[in-house]
Amino acid sequence: MPTTERRVGQLFAVFLVLLAVAGVRTAYLAAVKGGSLRQRAASQQTTAVTVPAQRGSIVDRHGTQLAVSEPADDIAANPRLIVDPVAAARRLAPLLHQGADAIAVKLAARGSGFVYLARQVPADMAERIRRLNIAGLQFTSVDKRDYPRGSLAAQVLGTVGIDGSGLSGLEYADDRVLRGHSGTRRVTSDALGHPIAVADASQAEPGHGLELSIDATIQSRAEAVLASVGRTYGPKAATAIVMDPRSGEILALANWPPVNANHVARASIAARQDHAVGFDYEPGSTFKAFTVAGALQEGLVTPSTLFDLPPEIQVADRTISDAESRPDETLSTARILAQSSNVGAIRIGLRLGRSHFDSWVHRFGFGRPTGVDLPGEERGQVLPLDRYSGSSMGNLPIGQGNSVTPMQMATAYAAVANGGILRAPHLVRAVDGHGTREPTGRRVLTPPVAAELRQMLKGVFSPGGTASEVSIPGYQLAGKTGTANKIDPVTHTYSSSRYVASFVGFAPARRPRLLCAVMVDEPQGAIYGGVVAAPAFGQIMSFALPYLRVPPA
Amino acid sequence: MSTAIPPTRRRRSAAPDEPRLSTNPIHAPDEDAPPAPPPLLWLDPLLTLTTLALAACSLVVLNGATRDDIPGQPHYYVERQGAYFLVGLGLMVLLARMDYTRLRELKYGLYTLLIGAVLLVLAAGHATRGSTRAISLPFFSFQASELGKVLLVCVLSAIVVDRRRRLSERETTARVMLLALIPAALVIVQPDLGSGMVYVVIALATLYIAGTGWRHFAALLTLGAVSLTLVLVAAPAVGVTVLKPYQVDRLTAFLNPSENPSKQGYQQIQSKIAVGAGQKTGRGKQATQTKLNFLPEHHTDFIFAVVGEQYGFVGAALILSLYALLIWRSLRILTMAKNLFGALVAGGVVAMLMFQVFVNVGMTVGIMPITGVTLPLLSYGGSSVLTTLLAIGLLQSVYAQARIASTLKHRVLRF
Repeated sequence: MPTTERRVGQLFAVFLVLLAVAGVRTAYLAAVKGGSLRQRAASQQTTAVTVPAQRGSIVDRHGTQLAVSEPADDIAANPRLIVDPVAAARRLAPLLHQGADAIAVKLAARGSGFVYLARQVPADMAERIRRLNIAGLQFTSVDKRDYPRGSLAAQVLGTVGIDGSGLSGLEYADDRVLRGHSGTRRVTSDALGHPIAVADASQAEPGHGLELSIDATIQSRAEAVLASVGRTYGPKAATAIVMDPRSGEILALANWPPVNANHVARASIAARQDHAVGFDYEPGSTFKAFTVAGALQEGLVTPSTLFDLPPEIQVADRTISDAESRPDETLSTARILAQSSNVGAIRIGLRLGRSHFDSWVHRFGFGRPTGVDLPGEERGQVLPLDRYSGSSMGNLPIGQGNSVTPMQMATAYAAVANGGILRAPHLVRAVDGHGTREPTGRRVLTPPVAAELRQMLKGVFSPGGTASEVSIPGYQLAGKTGTANKIDPVTHTYSSSRYVASFVGFAPARRPRLLCAVMVDEPQGAIYGGVVAAPAFGQIMSFALPYLRVPPA
Repeated sequence: MSTAIPPTRRRRSAAPDEPRLSTNPIHAPDEDAPPAPPPLLWLDPLLTLTTLALAACSLVVLNGATRDDIPGQPHYYVERQGAYFLVGLGLMVLLARMDYTRLRELKYGLYTLLIGAVLLVLAAGHATRGSTRAISLPFFSFQASELGKVLLVCVLSAIVVDRRRRLSERETTARVMLLALIPAALVIVQPDLGSGMVYVVIALATLYIAGTGWRHFAALLTLGAVSLTLVLVAAPAVGVTVLKPYQVDRLTAFLNPSENPSKQGYQQIQSKIAVGAGQKTGRGKQATQTKLNFLPEHHTDFIFAVVGEQYGFVGAALILSLYALLIWRSLRILTMAKNLFGALVAGGVVAMLMFQVFVNVGMTVGIMPITGVTLPLLSYGGSSVLTTLLAIGLLQSVYAQARIASTLKHRVLRF
């Protein structure tokens, strides 16, 4: 039948045309677009994965681990590949320590192809989760920072961000040394994200380890002492620095309130700060030692030079009296320091003269960072000479009007303690076992003048001295108390209720081996450096001296 | 119009000395002799060879593509597909030996079987509160809609033959279309859009081969366009959903797969990447699109993409050539058929094969929507393989009957 015949022919012709279209399209894909499509296949199947370098650990001077890194995994999910969010969430919940409902909500969010379930999960736990074989989970190996000693030296060590870079403290300052170089790895994955083959493109180089001059035992004691100060006086903050004045090595650097380094994010901003370098305050009486040191070094006074001191002194429009009212008295330079006489210190300052006084302020390193290997160091505020007013010499010599950091104060006292060399303090003793270069010092006092000053600073602990109640059997102590009014932030005048109590001292007085500075910000109940800070100094030193086997002297 | 014997059949004298293809010399043509029994195995050689070649390709491709699909059982799919082919080829031979003409009388039984099986699947799906296309048997789950294709070919051919003198009547066309649309609607609800479309194509092809006038087709086209508009545009607008959203997605995803974040868009992109990545000569063991499971359904609906990736354009072209050969041979058998019923059965089978081949290959290379239509003989799956081999068995029967008829009439079919 011709109709059928014709129609069969038409049918075959149509089919051949369609088949040819399909064939041409196949040829177009294979021959023309083949190269780019093959690349597309490769790019969706293989990914370059960053292999994190293991971050260097931080240990104290005896090798005690303060900060270590362990392999961990960030666990994420592609909700579009999760077949049954509820069932998957139920299996994951006990291992992730999260509620099944919360996980299910994340897994069911199909609008997104990526959602973090947990970050920095320890590697062994991540392996257990991997073995659940839930399609759609992604594991990214990362480096988890752990601080085995919790809050010990937390503000000094600092923090590492979730991306593995140091954010504060030594972790930040020495980030380049600690972090190493991450490697890359080419991972071939199947459509569900399961890795099939792995090849290293470049090896990760682990970071270098830091050895600190910190002694974990002294650090721990210093923190305990500050904790008791915190309990007793409820200050805003407190800090203590223990230093070897001969080298500038810091043996302990404690801050209160404490913060657990493993959970820094939960702590207040104030608790995270390292007040030793980040807090500047008007030092008050502890500064008098440098007024006296300048006059002594210039030969204007000797320890026994006598001053007739009225109860108060007029400088331009200001009248300054001593902390406790007293009659007309004749005091030696040594007694002026021991009793912390404001009138006496101003008289010595006036004898030194404003430009010489100013140069001594700078010579002791005030107004610029000490150079300690910690980040975020404040420089303090030092009044430039050309902005001195008529009354400036009525308060600068007694430690008012200029602000300093506890670290600056400790460093300047260390120069007195070590015979006159001002040296940048430091914390990092060695990198990967190679010792770091000790900072070179600068002579600011001659050894005899330094010795005279040390001798005078012993008087603070003698009867009538401001810290006479503090003593350590067998050891001769030297130091200076400080009680300074803070500036009221509202009125911009000296507050009568906010004080900074401080103490800086060293021992043994003749050949000091150990220096300790304690600063307490806004103590409640008591305000005097001799009452609040000096006992803390005594407690730290009475532990540290025998601990370091310093012979009694 | 009593028969569909094409004019290519030439009358020749049966000279005994003239060699005759496939004719048993014992039963020399003799008008007075009783009708000779059909030869034991009278299969069309070219159709059989093409079928076997495609079956072999299926096993080879599956062997490479599914090696890693089931851990510890690298030959899981190949072994099963091999078994389906053995059973299917057996059924094909049985059907080839049977006179297909008998199926004409069974048309009501076959149609009842078709509707019953499809309804059973639907009921089973309701019982499990999910969608299902298959009835689970002890050995494999049987997809009723696949077998339905062959049943429908026979039923519609029989109906058309019954009404062959009333082809110009609208009622004939309407009846045939209605008989196809009822099961089509039932399988689309399952939901199996692909098989539903095949049913409609079979009906159209049967009418076309039978010689229905162009005006009927034009009317059907208009009707189809109107109802498609109603289903896709008007019905959703008044809140009635006929097609499930994913079915609409499928139908439109191929137009712009990269902007369509749905599963269908993803599948189509992966399929095109696989075909392209194979380039001219294929990647062999490097066929990672398949191996890493980026190519979904690589053993069933997207097996052509596997061919493209593993064997490149060369392999794809070979497969397409085999299909061209298969279709050509089938159409040839159509023209040989001893009667209209045979021609229409062959026409329905050919239309089914053509449609499935083009739609499947088209969706693989991104020029047709994804409708879940298998590639005949190549795709893994018992229902698909058995159905296709039964359909080819019908073709073989048409061929065998044509040969027997010509032998009895002392005529030789031109091969």
